[in-house]
Amino acid sequence: MRAYLLRRLWQSALTLVLATIVVFLGVRALPGDPALAFAGEERDPASLAAIRAQYGFDDPLLLQYGTFVANSLQGDLGRSTRTDIPVTEMLAAALPVTLELAVLSLAVAIVIGVGAGVLAAVRQGRPAEWAANAVALLGLSVPNFWLGLILILYLAVGAGLFPASGYVPFTEDPLANLHHLVLPALVLGTGLAAVVMRQTRSSMLEALGADYIRTARAKGLGPGALIGRHALRNSLVVVVTIVGLQLGGLISGAVVTERIFGLPGFGKMTLDAVFQRDYPVIQGVVLVTASAYIIVNFLVDLAYSLIDPRIRVAGAAT
Amino acid sequence: MTTSETTPPQTPTVVPARAGLGAADPPPPAAPVRRRRVLRRLRRNPLGVVGFTILAVAVVAAVLAPVLAPYPPARVDFDAPFQVPGTVGYLLGTDDLGRDILSRILYGLRASLQVGVLAVLVALAVGVPLGLAAGYFRALDAVISRFTDLMLAFPFLILAVGLAAIRGASLGNAALAIGISQIPGMIRVVRSETLRLKGLDFVAASIVDGAGDLWVLGRHVLPNALSAIIVQATVTIPVAILGEAVLSFLGLGIQPPSPSLGTMLSEAQQYAAQAPWTAIVPGLAIVVVTLAFNLFGDALRDALDPRASRR
Amino acid sequence: MSRPPSLPAGRAGRRALAATGLAVTCLIAACAPVQPAEGPAEETTGQSVGEPADAGAVEQGGELVVALSAEPDRLDPVTSRSLYSRYVFHTMCEKLYDLDEDTEIVPQLATALPEVSEDGLTVTIPVREGALFADGTPFDAAAVKTTLERSLSAETSARRGELGPITSVEAPDPTTVVITLAEPFAPLTAALADRAGMILSPTALTALGEDFATAPVCVGPFKFVNRVAQNSIEVERDPNYYDADRVFLDRITYRIITDASIRAANLQSGDAQVADTLSTQDVPGLRDTEGITVLETDSLGYQGVTFNVGNVDGLGTPPGDVGTPVANDPRVREAFELSVDREGLVQAVFNGLYSPACSPISPDSEFSSDAAQACTEFDPARSRELLEEAGVQQPYPLSMIVSNNPDTLRLAQALQANLEEGGFALSIEPVEYSSLLDQQDRGDFESLQLGWSGRVDPDANITNFLGTGGGQNVAGYSNPELDTVLEQARTSTDTQERVALYGEAVSLIQADDPIVYLYRQRNLSGVTDDVQGVQVFPDGVLRVAFAGLTG
Repeated sequence: MRAYLLRRLWQSALTLVLATIVVFLGVRALPGDPALAFAGEERDPASLAAIRAQYGFDDPLLLQYGTFVANSLQGDLGRSTRTDIPVTEMLAAALPVTLELAVLSLAVAIVIGVGAGVLAAVRQGRPAEWAANAVALLGLSVPNFWLGLILILYLAVGAGLFPASGYVPFTEDPLANLHHLVLPALVLGTGLAAVVMRQTRSSMLEALGADYIRTARAKGLGPGALIGRHALRNSLVVVVTIVGLQLGGLISGAVVTERIFGLPGFGKMTLDAVFQRDYPVIQGVVLVTASAYIIVNFLVDLAYSLIDPRIRVAGAAT
Repeated sequence: MTTSETTPPQTPTVVPARAGLGAADPPPPAAPVRRRRVLRRLRRNPLGVVGFTILAVAVVAAVLAPVLAPYPPARVDFDAPFQVPGTVGYLLGTDDLGRDILSRILYGLRASLQVGVLAVLVALAVGVPLGLAAGYFRALDAVISRFTDLMLAFPFLILAVGLAAIRGASLGNAALAIGISQIPGMIRVVRSETLRLKGLDFVAASIVDGAGDLWVLGRHVLPNALSAIIVQATVTIPVAILGEAVLSFLGLGIQPPSPSLGTMLSEAQQYAAQAPWTAIVPGLAIVVVTLAFNLFGDALRDALDPRASRR
Repeated sequence: MSRPPSLPAGRAGRRALAATGLAVTCLIAACAPVQPAEGPAEETTGQSVGEPADAGAVEQGGELVVALSAEPDRLDPVTSRSLYSRYVFHTMCEKLYDLDEDTEIVPQLATALPEVSEDGLTVTIPVREGALFADGTPFDAAAVKTTLERSLSAETSARRGELGPITSVEAPDPTTVVITLAEPFAPLTAALADRAGMILSPTALTALGEDFATAPVCVGPFKFVNRVAQNSIEVERDPNYYDADRVFLDRITYRIITDASIRAANLQSGDAQVADTLSTQDVPGLRDTEGITVLETDSLGYQGVTFNVGNVDGLGTPPGDVGTPVANDPRVREAFELSVDREGLVQAVFNGLYSPACSPISPDSEFSSDAAQACTEFDPARSRELLEEAGVQQPYPLSMIVSNNPDTLRLAQALQANLEEGGFALSIEPVEYSSLLDQQDRGDFESLQLGWSGRVDPDANITNFLGTGGGQNVAGYSNPELDTVLEQARTSTDTQERVALYGEAVSLIQADDPIVYLYRQRNLSGVTDDVQGVQVFPDGVLRVAFAGLTG
C-alpha cells in the first residue's frame, strides 16, 4: 500500500509538471500576445515593448519558465497583464464561487439522479424505468447555455422569481447568495444528473444481485430498508466518483454557466484570460485545475478503497 | 490506477460499476447468435426504438437537406426578418436577417451531425489503439495513463480556443478540438475492456498457446471490445454535438454563413426575448437529436451488456 | 420569393402562432408570459442625453447599481487602455477639462480654456483653488505637473501619444500650469478632457507607485472603495469633494455583466438601475417597457472595412506591393463602396438604431462639414461595371477577417449578401479579438472589419490610421497629399481652417477608399425611472456621479 501511494504521488507530480510545461509553451504559441490584447485600440510599438518588458515576456523561454516555477513555489503566481491584480488574489476570489456552484449543482444532480437511478433499478424493465431513464437523458441532452437562457428569460425576467445574473458572496448575505445560485446550479446540475442516475442504476443493480443482499433478504430485511441502506451507500460512491471524474467537466460546464449568469468564477476567469492572452492568469488557472484534478483523483482512489474493499483488491491486481 | 473505468471530462457517460473482475466469465457466444440477441433486446427497449427512429429521420433529413430545404440556408431577405413560424413560405419562421429557419435547421443538422461523427472518428483513431496498447502491454500503461491524466487535467477550452486561434474557425477544427477532448474517455473505456478481456480464460489460453500479441489483440480483444467501443462512440456523438454548440456560443464554431444548430442558437441568443422561436426551434432540434443519440446509446449499452441476461 | 402578408388579418394569425411558440417553450421551462415583439420597432434617430437631476425631486443617499458591459482594465488613468475604465473614472477622477452634451470642451479642474501663445508652443492652463484629493491632499498646479510628467515618462504610460510633443510642464504658481510644446499641437485640449487630464494625488502616487491602480486617489465626487476581479467595483461619496452639495448618492456599485441581453434583463428585473451599451436588438423592447428610459447619443467613432493596400511586412514597416487587384486598384475598392447599402445594413442588422457613416468624422463633431459628410450612393450596377473596367473576375473573391462577436458576425453576413449584388463573393473569416489584432498588425489579411471608438479631435480618428507610418495604419496606406493636409490640420489653431482641411482630407480618403466607412454606433444606455440625473454624452461615458434616487 505504501509503495502504491508513493508511486501515485510521483506520477501526480510528473503530470503536474507536464501540464504546466504544456500550457506554458501552448499559450505562447497562440497568435497575439498579452501586450497586444491589453493595449487593444491604443497600441503603439513603444508601449507594447514596455508592457512586454514589464512582464518579462522578452526573456528566453527557459528563464521565463524557471521564474514562473520559482515564484509559484513561493506562492507568487504573478499579476494579470490586463488588470495588474495579483493572480493569487483573482484565484482566491474566483474559486469559492465555482466551488459553491459545483457543490450546489452536485446536490441538484444527486437529488434527481439518485432518485431516478434507484427507481430505474428497482423497477427494471417497467415503464417507470423508462420514464426515469428518459428524464435523466433529457437532462444530458439539453445545451446548458440554452437552458440558462430560457430560464433567465422566463423565470428571472418574465416571472421575476430569481435574479437574472450576478453574485453575492455567501459571507455578505447567505440568502441572496443562494438565490443567485439557484438557476445556475439547476442548469449545471441537470447535465450531471444523468451521470449520477446511470451510475446509481448500475451499481444498484449490481448490489441487488449481490450475494450479501440475497443473504440480507433471506434474513428477512424488507425491501424498503434494503433500498434505503444501499441507495445511501451507492450515492456516496457516486458522489465520490463524480467529484473525481467530473471535476474537469464541471469546470468546463461552469465556463458557460458562469458566463451566462455573470458569475465571477473560475470558468469565466479562464475564458477571459485565454481571450486576453493573459499568460500569468492562464498559467495560474492550469496550475490550480491540474493540481485539483490530481489531488481529487488521488483522494478518490483512497476513498474508494475505504468504501469498497473489493476495489482495493482489484486495484492491486492491475 | 484503481478507478480505471472512468469518464472523460464533460462526457457524462456511464461508469460501469464492475471493476476488472471477470475471471469466471465464459467465452462470448459466436457472433451471429450474439448479434441476434442484441437486436432482440434492442427491439424490446421502447426508448431505444424511439431514439433509433428519430436518428434515422434526422440523418435522412440532413442528407437530403439540399432537396428538402425550401431556400438556400444563407439566403438573406432584408424585407422579411423575424417572420413567426407558420408564415406563408416560412414554416418555422425567419431569423434576424430574414433567413428561413427550416432551411437552416436542415443544413445545421447536417453540420452538427458531421461535427459529431468527425469528432468521434478522431477519438476512435487515437483512443482505440492507445487504449488497446495501455490495456494489453503493462509497460505502455504507465506512459499512456500519464498522457490521459495530462489531457484530463488540462482545461479543454484552452485547447479549443487555441485551435481556433491558430487554424481559424471551421467545422473541421471544431470537430478536431472536440474529438481531441474525447480521446481520454475512449482510451479509458478501451483500456479497461482490454484489461478485462485479457483476464478471461479464452484469451489467457490463447496467450499461453503462444499466439502473437497483435494476433491476440486483433482476433480476441478488439472484436470483443467492439461493443464497448460502439457504445462509447454512440454516447460521444451527442457530447460532440453539444460541444459544437458551446464552441459556437463562444464564437469558435463553424464559419458563417453556414449554419450549425449551435451557431443558430448563439445568434438567436441576442434576440431571444424579441423572437423566442429563433432560439427555441434550433434548441429543440439539438435536444431532440442528442436525446435520440443518448436513448439509443443507452439501449445499446443495455443490450450489449452480457450481464443483463444473467439476471 | 414569397413575402409574408402584412395585412391586419395576417397579423392576428401571426400573434396566435407566436403564442404557439411560447407554448412550446413552456414544455421545457416553467412558463411565464413574455411579450413577443412584432418585428423591428420604428426607426428613431433623435438624441437623448438625459437630464440633470432635480435637487427637489431626489433623495439624499442610497446606492446605485450600474451594469457595466466590460471589465475595466487598470484603474490608473495613466496606464489604463480600456474605454470602460473611463466609465468608472468618471465618478472618482475629475479631469482638467470635460465635455458637455454638445461635445464642447468645458473646464472642470481647470478654471478656463487654455491660453495658447501666438506661436502655438506655450499653453497656459489656470487651475482650481481649494479642491482636495480624496486622501485630503490639496489639489494644485504642482499636482498637475506631477501627473502629466508621469504620463510622459512612465514606461507603461498609455497617454504619451495623446499628449503630443510636450517638452516641459511647469507650475509657476499653485493655480497656473504652463505646458511647452516642441511644435503646435491642437489636439492637446481634447486629450486633457480625457484620461490624460485626470490628476492623481501626489501623496498616493508616492505611497503606491506602480500599484496606484489598486487604490486610485483623485479629485472626484466619489472615491474608490474596492474591486473584486471580474465582478464589481465600488465607489462611495467623497466628503472632500469641492462640490459635494451636488452629490446625492452614497455609493455606486459597478457590476460587470458582459452579455448584452443579460444587462437588459437586469435592468428589467430592477437588479441594476443603469446599463451601458445595450444591444440594438433589446432597445425596441426596452423602450416599450414601462419604467425604463433609453438614452441615445451618436458616438464619435466609426465602424468600417479596412483593405490591406500595402501592409506587406507588418505594422511599422514601409508599405509594399500586396499584389492583389483590391490592394492595387482603387476601382475595386470603389466598387466595394458602391455595393454597400448602408441604410439597409443598419436597418437590418441594428434595427435602424445606428447611423450610416461615410467618413471618420462624426456629424456631431464641431469639425464636421458638408465635405466631411459626403457619401457614395448605393449602386450595385455601377459596382459591377467598375469591376469590369478593372478587368477582374466576377464575382470577385474577397476574404474579410472579422471579430467573432455576435454583432459583427451578423453585420458580416448581411454585408456578404449585400456585396453579392455588386459582384463580390465575400468570405467571412471570424477570429477572436487577440488573433485579429495580431493578424492585422502583421498584415495577414485581405480586408478586415473593425472600428474605432472615436475621440473628440478628428486628428485622433484619422492620422493614426491613414497617415503614412501611423501607429495603427494597418492598411499600409501612404498618400503624401493626405499627409500634408493632416499635418496642416494638426498644427493649425484656427477652427475654421481645420474644418476646411478635414473636409479636404475626407475627400482624399474617399477618392482612394483604403477604408470604407460603414456606420457609426450609438451609445445606447438604459436607465430605470427611479433614478434621475444619469446622462450620456457623445463620448459614450455614463455620467452617473450627480444622479439621485427618486425613491
